[in-house]
Order: sequence, then structure tokens, then C-alpha cells
Amino acid sequence: MAEWEDREIINQVLQGNSQLFTLLVEKYQKSIFNYVFRLVRQRQEAEDLAQETFVKAFFALPQYDNSYQFSTWIFRIALNLCRDYFRKKKLPFLSLHEPIGDDENGELEDMIEQQAFLDPDGEILNQELRTKLEKAIDQLPLKFKEVVILRHLENLSYEEIAQVTGLPIGTVKTYLHRARKALRKELRKYLD
Amino acid sequence: MEAWEKKLIDHLESLPQVSPGESFSSKVISSIRAEQEKRESKRIHWFDFKKVLAFSLAGVFLGLMLLTDLPLSPRLETTNGFGYEKVELVFCPSSQNPRTVAVAGDFSKWDSLQMKKVRDNCWSVTIQLKPGHYQYGFLVDGEQWVPDPASLRQVSDGFGGINSVLVVENN
Repeated sequence: MAEWEDREIINQVLQGNSQLFTLLVEKYQKSIFNYVFRLVRQRQEAEDLAQETFVKAFFALPQYDNSYQFSTWIFRIALNLCRDYFRKKKLPFLSLHEPIGDDENGELEDMIEQQAFLDPDGEILNQELRTKLEKAIDQLPLKFKEVVILRHLENLSYEEIAQVTGLPIGTVKTYLHRARKALRKELRKYLD
Repeated sequence: MEAWEKKLIDHLESLPQVSPGESFSSKVISSIRAEQEKRESKRIHWFDFKKVLAFSLAGVFLGLMLLTDLPLSPRLETTNGFGYEKVELVFCPSSQNPRTVAVAGDFSKWDSLQMKKVRDNCWSVTIQLKPGHYQYGFLVDGEQWVPDPASLRQVSDGFGGINSVLVVENN
């Protein structure tokens, strides 16, 4: 039903009712912004990239292939803009097609502080765990971070993640498994 | 799925969503409008440029047509049109009823132009020429070179023959 509505809106926009595009922005702004923010970790940059995502989508609507879900398509645009952003910024960017080596799991050990204090107060423990978890996600290689956020924070299926990232489903599963293992390594004290 | 993995997923899924500012959607719409205007103005500039280019090329072409002898268009059949004069050459040979009669001259780079029989034993052709002096002659049956008996102006062709001289004056 939701997808039918998206397609209806898109058809209307393509027929000239461009103001209806606002409905799509309002529907997806939170997911797209959240995704972009978790990748770039800077609010202003994330706002700019998320805005650019919708502007780009608006002008690319005539090329939109409605055999895909609009949500998948717009996540893909957002991801491509983020990848460009990292390239331009010359920030560490790992190729999606790079074989996953065992040494990548070791990167987290160097990047994350190893001090974790268990507190008898559950609330503080949860807060601390959340902070550690956010930090651990942030320190994941980008290719892992992309799929972890799509799967566990945006609730996309494996197939949708494959469409967004352009990876085979098997690779998506592998990346997720590797990412979870890497996160476990950093959060063992809280998880085991 | 192992216990740690389930626990991790639960924690991941309970992480809070980060929301954009309240004016996010209006900013997006403003950006779209700004981009639309930018694209529209680019399109207009390009359209103007193409228009100017087309007019300029048309002007150059027209100038070349009017001011040069370049074969840019068929010559208009209009007397005094664009500096050309219409000249009718009529030839009535002494030999009776030749099969073909043509005229050749420096106006045709000595290529023969077939003449049309207009009355008994008389042939005619009308050509457009700019004012000037032209040497010419008639070719009877494709082999006999005959100067124009109606023209008093004649010069040697340099090979022992005679060419007639046509003088086209500005009317």
C-alpha cells in the first residue's frame, strides 16, 4: 500500500504536481537523515547531504525505475552521495569489493578505548553500553557500517540492502556477520 | 543465532533515530526551486545562444550570397537581380538544320550550354551574367566552332580561331 502510494505520488509529480514531492520528503526525511548522519557523524554535513539526496531524487525522477521501491532508490542516492563525500574529503574509504581480511577486525582494538566499567546501576550501564556501541559502529570500516545501519537501524531486508549498496546478497550477509563479530569484540563485556 | 548476537541486535535496534531540523523539508523544497530556476536560466541562455548563432550564420550566408560569386544558391531568374543581367543569345547558323547547337564561353568556363530551337534554323539560350566582357562561340553539331555572326566584336582565340566578345553593361 505504502509503495503504491509512493508510485502514485511520483506519477503526480511527473505530471507536473511537483509540490506533492513534499509528501515524499516528509515521509523519508527521518530515515535518510538518520542514515546519512550515522555515516558522516556531522550534523551540518548530514543535513546538506540529506537535502542533496532529495534534490537529486527530484530531478532524477523521470529516470526512476518503478520496479524498485522508492525507499530503496532514495537510500541508494544517499549512499552514493556519502561515498562521494568521503572520496572528496579523502577520508578513509574502503572498497566494497576488497576481500575481507582478518586484520580488519583488529582495527577496532587500536581505535576504541579499552576501558569499560561495569556499573551496578543498570541505567548507567545501558547508557555506557550505548555510547560504546555508537563508538564501535562509528569505527567500523565504512563498508560494514553501511550495511549494519541499513539492516539494524533502518530495518531493510537483505535484498533491499543489496539493491542499495549494489552488493550481492551473500556479500551483504558476510559483511553483517563480520560487522557483528567486530562489534562483539569491542562489547564482549556487555554481551557475553 | 547465538545469545550475544541477539543481544547485540536488540541493542542496535534500540539505538535512537537522529532527526533532521524542523525546517528540513522546506529547505529541500527551496533547494529544488533554486535548482529549477538555475536550470531554467541555463536553458534560456543556451536557447539565446543558439538563436544568436543561427541568426549570425544566416547573416553571413546571406552576405556571401549577395556579395560574392560563390555558388551558394541557384541564380534567380530576375533581371537586374543581385547585380546580374539577363542576356539572351540567339544563333541562326548558315548551315541548314544542324542537329545540336550549344554555346560555350568564359562565362561557362568553356563548358557547352545547349541552346533551344526557337524558330526555323534559329537557337536561343538565356543566361545571367554580371556586367563585363566575355568571349564565347557556338558549337554546331558538337564539332564545328562558329563565332557569333550577329556580334561585331571578335578576338583571336590564340589557336588560329576566332571568338566573339559579349559586352554586358549595367542597365
